[in-house]
Amino acid sequence: MVTAVQLLVNGLALGAAYALVALGFVLVLNATSAVNFAQGDLVMAGGLLAVALAPLLPSAVPVPGLLLLPLVLVLMAGLGLLLALVAYLPLRRRPPVSVFISTIAIGIILQNGAAVLFGPEPRVGPPLLGDGVVRVGGVAVPEQSLAIMVVAALLIGAQHLVFSRTQLGRRLRATAQDPEMARACGVPVTRMILLTFAIGAACAGAAGLLLANRYFMTPTAGGDLILKAYIAVTVGGWGSVPGAVLGALLIALFEVGVSWLLSQPVAQGALYGVLLVILVLRPQGLFGEAVRRRA
Amino acid sequence: MALALAAGGLLAYALLWASPYGLRVLTVAGVYALASFGFQIIFGLGGALSLAQGAFFGLGAYVTGILGSRYGFDASVTFPLSLLAPLLVALPVGLAVLRLDSHYFALATLGVAQVLHLLVVNLPDLTGGANGVPGVPPFALFGWSAPRGLPTTALVWGMVAVGGLIGWRVARGRLGRSLALVRDDPMAAACLGLDVGRLRLTAFVLSALYAGAAGALAVHTQRVVSPEVLEFPVMVTILTIAVVGGRGRMVGALLGALLLIHLPEWFRGLERSYLIVYGAALLLVILLAPMGLTGLWARLFPPPGRPLPDPVEPPARPARNGERLRAEGVTKDFGGVRALDGVSLRLEAGVIVGLIGPNGSGKTTLINALSGLERVDSGRLWIDGRTMTNARPDRIARAGLARSFQAAILPDDATALEAVAAARLPLDRRVEWAEAHARWALERLGVGALADRLCHGLPAALRRRVELARALARRPSVLLLDEPAAGLTDAEKAELAALLRALAADGMALLVVEHDMEFLLPLADRVLCLDRGRRLYDGAPDGVRRDAGVIAAYLGGVGA
Repeated sequence: MVTAVQLLVNGLALGAAYALVALGFVLVLNATSAVNFAQGDLVMAGGLLAVALAPLLPSAVPVPGLLLLPLVLVLMAGLGLLLALVAYLPLRRRPPVSVFISTIAIGIILQNGAAVLFGPEPRVGPPLLGDGVVRVGGVAVPEQSLAIMVVAALLIGAQHLVFSRTQLGRRLRATAQDPEMARACGVPVTRMILLTFAIGAACAGAAGLLLANRYFMTPTAGGDLILKAYIAVTVGGWGSVPGAVLGALLIALFEVGVSWLLSQPVAQGALYGVLLVILVLRPQGLFGEAVRRRA
Repeated sequence: MALALAAGGLLAYALLWASPYGLRVLTVAGVYALASFGFQIIFGLGGALSLAQGAFFGLGAYVTGILGSRYGFDASVTFPLSLLAPLLVALPVGLAVLRLDSHYFALATLGVAQVLHLLVVNLPDLTGGANGVPGVPPFALFGWSAPRGLPTTALVWGMVAVGGLIGWRVARGRLGRSLALVRDDPMAAACLGLDVGRLRLTAFVLSALYAGAAGALAVHTQRVVSPEVLEFPVMVTILTIAVVGGRGRMVGALLGALLLIHLPEWFRGLERSYLIVYGAALLLVILLAPMGLTGLWARLFPPPGRPLPDPVEPPARPARNGERLRAEGVTKDFGGVRALDGVSLRLEAGVIVGLIGPNGSGKTTLINALSGLERVDSGRLWIDGRTMTNARPDRIARAGLARSFQAAILPDDATALEAVAAARLPLDRRVEWAEAHARWALERLGVGALADRLCHGLPAALRRRVELARALARRPSVLLLDEPAAGLTDAEKAELAALLRALAADGMALLVVEHDMEFLLPLADRVLCLDRGRRLYDGAPDGVRRDAGVIAAYLGGVGA
């Protein structure tokens, strides 16, 4: 029982971070119907950014990660803007595979740029609050796990509020649903797309900061993370925002559960096997596909 | 000619000037060229972004590495098995995802790469784990073995020549043309009778074979295999080679491999950061010259046009009288909206049926359902007496049905002849025959003079003609036309009507969707009117103007 709760906490913490990765991925996907392959490498960049910034803080700061979070969000949003300007806007009239390749190219540059700057070794990021452990009824819960869940939930909630309750959110959603129509209604579509890339990259940066403490960060971590985001979005239904978050939680729980039962490599392999089965049996995802191909 | 000069130059370099180290780099370039040939088939021609080409390369490498070093097998055993192993992985993955949208394919192939890497690192007893397998023997066959240096280089480049030639023939031939059609517009390809899934699977399997061969040769060259061969940089290198060289071109793969493998050697200062340069090169090429170096070359020095083939009439389907297509009780829901509600329909040889109805009444949905683009929720469909209910569009097309679209869909960068010849690819065994038959179809529609014009610049009326030629080239027994007269002048409409009558007189069964009653009513033998997915009227064209239900539906009056 205690183990089960422990696993649940670990799974949810990992899932919360994955959810941020998948969220950024699916927002860009909806706004541009383009796959941002660099999303995983943006997570890595966010994580290493936190690693690089941490020593700049005075050592007595009690909550280093939490203080760095706004800075990482802003810097990563800037990187997202740059990505959109260089790798998306010039290619928006071309076949989708062009953006796929241009974002792969950005990913390569980020990944190898990080390898040159940081070296290939795994790096540990600053904890959000501290390294302590909270005991809740016999279950030892690391503070970091709790903080990951809370921060991710707050960020996802904020995103949801902005998208559902504000004028800006309505414009962003209109752009995602039908860019031509949105433009006809006076929505500045290009600016909305740029903003979506910025939000997507900020989500990735936050995920990187959250993951870098407990799970370490290497320059090559992006490949695995983009795969997770991709699987989450596929499981949740291509283009569905709540589906992506739910999918991310599901695959993290699966990963943590199977890792405990068998081993980490088996869990990764099994996750991929399950993905293939889902693609064969329910390609629209477990909860239905949100994006229909426009005829 | 230019190719022969370049090959001669390469040979001279290898024989006369290259240092042992230079030869080694040249050999690696050959290995990557071979892997990139395969990638050109699946990605360049087939348009499916496979991220497993590096993984197949690594798999081929490990098979040769393990069998050669642990068990001492020579190439007669290891080389075929290095091809077989990637094939066995590619088949199930391809079968699972190749019919889905292409982004799922990229995901699934990325997964293959990640899982293989994970396996290799975590099965140290088999693979040597992170250290890999040392002591791989050179390429040996029947007692002869290729020592380091010139013999190995010659062996690899011999394989490159063979592989490049095969790839070039594939690209030029029926498979390559079919794949290009599938890449540009999978839906149109399926409606022309091409089995999209099977074509992509063939391309994927071919790409895996090339990668396996390249991996095996890489290990014979390096003499050691480690998890590095399965890491993303290999895939990145292959992708960059294909894009920089020119997508879909074997010469592009060759050029790209020579250039990119030598790049880090020419700029020694790059050291580990050479991959950043690859990333930048990939980005620049995709932004500035999306067709790569060979595409740039072709634009600067356009190749001379080929002579047109003589028109040859394609064999007709056996003539039959009476019913060619029958649909019964076809029902289709979109969410809560019933687009088709129990529609039944018969099309007979020699008969033109007009399909009318207000906007949103289900006309296009019916055509989509009959041609297999929409699955129906209930109802049945037969073509020439054979059940085709919810069959795939390519199967329905091969059963003898052809259709046009409201907006003519033709590949922009193909000539009219190539576009029409594409329709014959599932029927003719050779591209030359397909083109001769295509020429006949263009002549028959009076647009033979357009044969070598690019589809891109054609005016709307001529595009429609070319698309009709595309449908006609297949000698269908049933032809469905979606608003064929839209945007035509009166003279063009009269011509079109005469043409459609001639097709019917030949024994074709036609269904024509049209809003223009002046065009349709004199043309049609029978008229079917739909309203909100239901059949409102089915009978003689004269009666339709007087039918109270039809009038009400069009005017939106009471009693509809």
